[in-house]
Amino acid sequence: MTRISLTVNGKRYERDVAENRTLLRFLREDLGLIGTKEGCGAGECGACTVLFDGLTVNSCMVLAVEADGRAVETIEGEAKDGKLSDLQEAFQKHHAVQCGFCTPGMIMSTRELLHRTPKPTVAEIKEGIEGNFCRCTGYQQIVEAVLDVSGQLEKKGELRHA
Amino acid sequence: MKTIPEAALNVMGRTAYIDDLPEPRNLLHSAVKLSGSARGRMTRIDAARALALHPSVRVITWKDIPGENQLGFTVADEPLLPEREWEYWGQPLVLCLAETKGLARRAAELVVVEGDALAPTFDPREAAAKGDFILPPRTQRSGDPAAAFARAAYVVSGRADSGGQEHVYLETQGAIAEPRDGDRIFIISGTQGPAVVQRAAARVLGLPMNKVEVETRRLGGGFGGKEDQATTWGCLAALGARLSGRPVKLCLDRKTDMRATGKRHPYSSDWKIAADAEGRLLAFEADYYQNSGCSCDLSAAIISRTLFHAVGAYRIPNVRVTGFLCRTNLPSFTAFRGFGAPQGIFVMEAALDALARRMGIDPVELRRRNLLEEGDITHYGMPMTRVRARESFDSLLEKTRWRELRAEVDSFNASHALEKRGLAVVPNCFGVSFTKLQMNQGGALVHVYQDGSVLVSTGAIEMGQQVSRKIARVTACTLGIPIERVAIERTTTLTVANTVPTAASTGSDINGMAALAACEEIRGRLVRRAAELVGGPAAGLSIEDGRVVRGREDTGLSWDDLVLKTYESRVDLSAHGFYATPGLFYDMEAEKGSPFAYHVYGAALVEVRLDVLRGLYAVERALIVHDVGRSLDRAVDLGQIEGAFAQGLGWALLEELAFGADGRLLSDTLSTYKLPDAHFLPARLEVEMMRETDNPRAVLNSKAIGEPPLVYGIAGYFALLDALRSARPDGPGMYDLPLTPEKALDYLTGDRPEYGREKAAKGDTPC
Repeated sequence: MTRISLTVNGKRYERDVAENRTLLRFLREDLGLIGTKEGCGAGECGACTVLFDGLTVNSCMVLAVEADGRAVETIEGEAKDGKLSDLQEAFQKHHAVQCGFCTPGMIMSTRELLHRTPKPTVAEIKEGIEGNFCRCTGYQQIVEAVLDVSGQLEKKGELRHA
Repeated sequence: MKTIPEAALNVMGRTAYIDDLPEPRNLLHSAVKLSGSARGRMTRIDAARALALHPSVRVITWKDIPGENQLGFTVADEPLLPEREWEYWGQPLVLCLAETKGLARRAAELVVVEGDALAPTFDPREAAAKGDFILPPRTQRSGDPAAAFARAAYVVSGRADSGGQEHVYLETQGAIAEPRDGDRIFIISGTQGPAVVQRAAARVLGLPMNKVEVETRRLGGGFGGKEDQATTWGCLAALGARLSGRPVKLCLDRKTDMRATGKRHPYSSDWKIAADAEGRLLAFEADYYQNSGCSCDLSAAIISRTLFHAVGAYRIPNVRVTGFLCRTNLPSFTAFRGFGAPQGIFVMEAALDALARRMGIDPVELRRRNLLEEGDITHYGMPMTRVRARESFDSLLEKTRWRELRAEVDSFNASHALEKRGLAVVPNCFGVSFTKLQMNQGGALVHVYQDGSVLVSTGAIEMGQQVSRKIARVTACTLGIPIERVAIERTTTLTVANTVPTAASTGSDINGMAALAACEEIRGRLVRRAAELVGGPAAGLSIEDGRVVRGREDTGLSWDDLVLKTYESRVDLSAHGFYATPGLFYDMEAEKGSPFAYHVYGAALVEVRLDVLRGLYAVERALIVHDVGRSLDRAVDLGQIEGAFAQGLGWALLEELAFGADGRLLSDTLSTYKLPDAHFLPARLEVEMMRETDNPRAVLNSKAIGEPPLVYGIAGYFALLDALRSARPDGPGMYDLPLTPEKALDYLTGDRPEYGREKAAKGDTPC
C-alpha cells in the first residue's frame, strides 16, 4: 500500500492504495464515484475518460499511485450545486445521450476539447471525441451538442437533419 | 426541444447500471472458466489449485445444478454448464465464487478442465453438407419459379456472404442474485427479457416461477445481445447465490463477454434471379446457410425473418427461398438489430446489382421499376396495404437530384484515375411484429396515486431507445395530464408477469398499447366520477392538460381534485392493461399468412470516395428518407435512425468478426474489432422523416423505429462497390460483406480473385 494525496473535483483526498490499483477502480470503489464507467478495462473505448491535470486519460490505464499530487476531474464535478453545466444541458437538449453509458467519458473528452479550443470546427470535435466509442447515437447529435454549447450552431451546416 | 427523463441523470453520470449498484452485504464475486478449444469431450475437472487459492473460493460445475441443466426453450440444446462436451471456444465451463473479483478470476484460471479433442465444424456449408441442422430447413414459395426462370430474358445467379457482428453494448453482460426469504431468489439482470431469465432460472434451480423475481432498471445498450443471451449470466449468478446462500455478482469483463456471447449470424447464400427484357423481376430463388453456431437460441425465429425479408421492398411473383440452420462449433449466434432481415436483404440487393450489370442498366433504375405497390401480395401471402415504397424511393431520388448526381459522379470518375466516387440507393420495407406469433403480447400496470401522480410499469426495458419516454407520452396523452406527472418504473416480474423481451422494434408498440389500455380503464372510472361531481352526463366530459372539460369548457374541476375525490369514493385507481397485436396469423405448414402488423418504408442514398491506390475510403454523404408514421418523439426517432444506420454501415463496411482456423475468436478486443468512431459517419448525413401519415396498427399512429433503419447501411456496401468498379471495370462482382479496406484493396489489385467469382450455380453463367 502507498499513501496518495490528490484532488478530485476540487476536493482533497488522502488514501492508502495498492500499487496495482487503477485510477478507475480507485475512483469507483474507494471514492464511490461511479459516474466513471468501465467499458473495456483496456484503454480502448473511452468510457472511463477523466481529466488528469486538465488532460484526458483513460482512467483504466492509469494507476492510482500515479495520481499522487495531481488534480483529477470526473463527471461528478461537471454539475455545480445540482445545476447541470452548459455542456450537460447541451447533451440533453440535442438528445446526444441514448443508453448513457458512454456519456460521462464523452462529456469529459468534450470538456477538455473546449478548454483547449473554445470554438472547435466539426473536424476538431470529431477528433476530440475519436477516443470515445458510442454504440447508440452515430455521433451526429453529440457533435451538434458541442457546436451548440460553443455558440456555433450555424456551423451545423453539413450535419443537417430534417 | 423536449427533455428526456433519464437524460439529466445520464449526463450527470448518476444513472446506475448493474456494476454501479451498491453491493449487498456479504457479496461474493464470481467468474467463469471458458473453454480453450472449439470442441471437446470432458474427462476431468480439477479444482484443487483453485480451491487452495483462498478459503472463500467455491467451484461450481454442472453437477451442482439443483434443477434442470437447460436454458434452451425452442430446442433443448443449451446446457447452462456443459456436462459432457463443450461446443465452442470460449464456452463457460465452470463458475467460481470468491470474496473479490480478482480472486474469482484467478480461481477460474486455476481450474483445470481436461478432455479429448473432437473435430469441429465452422463453415455452415460444411455443416449443411453433413446434414447437421439445428432444425429442419424451411421453405417459402409463391408462383412457379422454375417456369419463370425457363422463359426469362435474363437469368443471373451467384453467391453472397455476410459476416457476423459484435453487439458491443457499452455495458457488458452482468447480474446480481440474492437469496431471499428461505427459498426465494431475487435477480437483478442486465436483460432485455426479465421473464425469460425468470423462467430459465426457475428451471435451473428447480423452483416454481413464483419464487424467482427478476428486475431490470436499464441497460447500457442491448441491440439484441441481451434478448436471450443475458440468461446465462442471470442463471449463473442465481445458481451461485442458491448454492452459497449469499448474494453473488457476475459482471463480465469485455474480453470474456466478446468470447463467450453470441453475435449477429453470419450467412452464406446462393441466389438466382430472373427478369424479362424490360427488367421486370420474374423470379427469385435463394438458399440461406445461416451459421447458427452451437445451439438454437433464437436462430429459428431469425431465419424466419430472413425468409420474410427475402425479396426486400420488391415485387416478385415467383419465389422459392429456403433457410438452413447450420450447426457449427462457434458461439451460438443470436439476435442483433434487424434479426436476420439485413442478411436476407443483402442477398436480394446483391442479386439485383448483378442483374443490373448483366442488363447494362443503372441498378437504381432496376430497383425503381420493381418496387412493391399497394395491394401486392408477398411471397408469404400477406396483402400489402399503405405501401410507401415508391413514395419514399422517388422522394429520395428527387431530393438527391439523382440523374444530375449520377452524371456528376460519372464525370468526376472519368477525369480522376486515383480517386473514385461511388453511389448507391437501397429501399427499405421492414415487417414489424415478432415473427414468433405468441410473443406479440404485453402487459402494463398503471397506478394513479392520491396526489395525482402516475406510475407505469410495463415489460419495456430502457436501453437507450427512450421507450420510457414514449410510454410516458402515451400515458400522458391518454389520461390528459402533463407528461411531468408520469413516472416509468423499472421492469420487474412482480408487477407485470409473462412479459416478452423488449425486441423486434415492438417495445413501444406492445407496451405502449398495454399502458394505453390500462389508462383508458382508469380514465373511464375518473370520468364517471367527474360526471357525479360536475353534473350532467359522463359522455362529452374529458380530461385535458390536467383539467376536466366538457367540450372546450373548463368545468372547474382539476385532475388533482378529481383523483382525490375518486379515491375518497372508494374507486380503484389502478389498472392492469393487456395487449395482443390483433390480426396476426401464420400457417407454418403452408408457410402463408399475415405475420406482421404493418411495414416500415424508406430509402437511403450513400456516397463514398475511394482512394484507388490504397483501398481506403470515406463515406462522404448519406441521405435517408424514412417513414415514422406519426412520430411519438422526433428527437428520439432521429437518434434511432442515425444510430441504426451507423450500425448498419459498420456491419457493411467496417466491423469484421474474425475467427481463427481453430475457432478461436481473434477479434476479441475493441482494438481488433473495429467499431464506427466519430470520423466514420458521413460528413454529410441528412435524415428526412416522410410526411406523417396514420398507422392504425400501432400506438397513437406511430411506427416502430429500432431496427428498420439499420438496413440503410447496405447502401454503403453497394456505393463502395460502385466506386471500385469505376476503378476496375473488369473486376468481378463481389458480394462479401463487410467490404473492408483490405478487401477493397484486394479487389483493386486482383490479389484475391475469389472475391466475386460467383459460383456458377445450376448451369447459369455468372455475371
